[in-house]
Amino acid sequence: MITLGIDIGSTTSKCALLRDGSDILATSLRVGGLGTEGPDEAMQELRESSGIDLSAVDRTIITGYGRNKYEGGDGEVSELTCHALGGRLVFPELRTVIDIGGQDAKVICLSESGRMTNFVMNDKCAAGTGRFLDVMANILRMDVNDFDEVASGSVSPAAISSTCTVFAESEVISQLANGVDRADLVAGICGSVASRVSALARRAGVKPQVCMSGGVAKNGAVRRALEKSLDTEIAFDPRAQYFGAIGAALYAYRQLQQ
Amino acid sequence: MVKDILAKFHEVAASPRAQMDKYMAEGKKVVLTAPVYTPEELIHSMGFVPMGAWGADMELNRAKEYCPAFLCSIVQSILELGIKGAYKGASAIVIPSLCDTLKTLGENWKYAVDDIKFIPMTYPQNRKPDYGIAFTKAGYERVIRDLEELGGKYDAAALVESNSIYNKHNASMRKLDEVLAAHAEITASQRSDIFKSAFFMTKEEHTELVDQLIEELEKTEGTAAKLPVVVSGILTDAPQLNAVFEEFGMHIVADDVAAQSRQYRTDVPECDDPLDALAVKFANMDNCSVLYNVKKPRVQWIVDTAKARGAKGVVVVMTKFCDPEEFDYVMIKKACEAADLPLALVEVDRQMVQFEQIRTNLETFRDMLMM
Repeated sequence: MITLGIDIGSTTSKCALLRDGSDILATSLRVGGLGTEGPDEAMQELRESSGIDLSAVDRTIITGYGRNKYEGGDGEVSELTCHALGGRLVFPELRTVIDIGGQDAKVICLSESGRMTNFVMNDKCAAGTGRFLDVMANILRMDVNDFDEVASGSVSPAAISSTCTVFAESEVISQLANGVDRADLVAGICGSVASRVSALARRAGVKPQVCMSGGVAKNGAVRRALEKSLDTEIAFDPRAQYFGAIGAALYAYRQLQQ
Repeated sequence: MVKDILAKFHEVAASPRAQMDKYMAEGKKVVLTAPVYTPEELIHSMGFVPMGAWGADMELNRAKEYCPAFLCSIVQSILELGIKGAYKGASAIVIPSLCDTLKTLGENWKYAVDDIKFIPMTYPQNRKPDYGIAFTKAGYERVIRDLEELGGKYDAAALVESNSIYNKHNASMRKLDEVLAAHAEITASQRSDIFKSAFFMTKEEHTELVDQLIEELEKTEGTAAKLPVVVSGILTDAPQLNAVFEEFGMHIVADDVAAQSRQYRTDVPECDDPLDALAVKFANMDNCSVLYNVKKPRVQWIVDTAKARGAKGVVVVMTKFCDPEEFDYVMIKKACEAADLPLALVEVDRQMVQFEQIRTNLETFRDMLMM
């Protein structure tokens, strides 16, 4: 049985194909989320990379902010539910998911059996989200994907406000004007995201095993800063950005099983 | 018949201005009553029609001349409507002193809306001791004096009668709350209409309509709830919010909402003097974020009610920047966790136009409860 999950986020679209609710057959990602060609392009990429005829898919579930508007699915489900399912599929002992996406951050708590028991969302502020990192990368004229490597060279991370993206932007400009080392600035920026998100995580309750999902999970500097702030190891899987799509495909499989 | 009664509630809830015009055309004087608790019985007994003024969902503009951005949007929208003339023709507005933001509303009202008299109702923090009851009574006497300036006349016998009319309405609303718990076919929007319309109708009219609805509902076997929940907060009348409850099959089996059931929990007791009785009523009120009680019985009330009504979870609808509710939330969350009662928190604002985040939140909560 093959199921498809499509996660249409604020900045990217992701797809995942699952066989029998356990084997991740293929994934795809395209920049461009809600209201763009991103979802269709991600589907095309999945078709090409997997070589699987998508007409053979038994059920498709859509998740993410674009889930309500996208036509072509058999149903839709909240991205929190999907990140929990996808994360648990990859990490069977998972108890806490920290999902930092393009425009928000969420923390999901799971019971020993994997049932969702609590969640919190930071949905009103760009601080502590991928958008915060994008804004800072723009000021520094850097690619956000280089943050991890640059931050690893930091000796003394700069203090950056975690309260507001706009104020933090001014702070970074001031720090640049004062000649603060770029590596220290990038490390400070990543630490700021971690500070904001760790507060959210503590509010939900953090139990190991903890993993990150969403696009920011790829940023090792943020992961390390979060580990330090939460005093716990954070599991990472290269497919972390696809957990929402994988979870949607798993949700589709479970619906078929019922 | 149920459909017709619900349509009437909706019509009134959606058109408060039409109600106000109707009463004024009948030669009656309207007195606005701001949140959270005003002595409506007293206003009613002096010949005025009390009409709730809880603001509206709208973009705030003129109110910002007087209020910083971090003030409760309910209060700001009342001021906005006042400045823009939406309440034109009202004789006065009674504003209680039950939170810091309401205190600023009264003071700003005096300067911002000069054609509608501001009448303060200053309540004591410690309302239960004798000195608190005396303080409340003195506040009512101030309201009486101000209403007399507008042509009202205080008469103890009339207040006895009004107290009785309001007690009857309270009883009907409490009964309705119980009946609605067993009738999941009545949607969150319809429930909201029933409660909201009570602010815009005389209590005699509203009681009659509510009693009719109860009678009709009791003739039928109610639809069982898919997902019974208790809702708590100050105000939950946003149509988009109620649409989300409906979309995810959430049936409100009880509420702890200030604009709904909290209004009707306490009756005016029997006393020799009806004004004393009204002051004792306020002393007896409890289980509300704006009614000071160091023991916070409200917290356990929510847990006990949820258990008694078979709710699978509690949804706290937090009005943004409402300090009293935010202080209580921490205790409510802990109590629900201790009782193994799942809890969701969503934040609302009178200026909200996008409810997608709330939809995601409650969809996830639904999944959490059902999976």
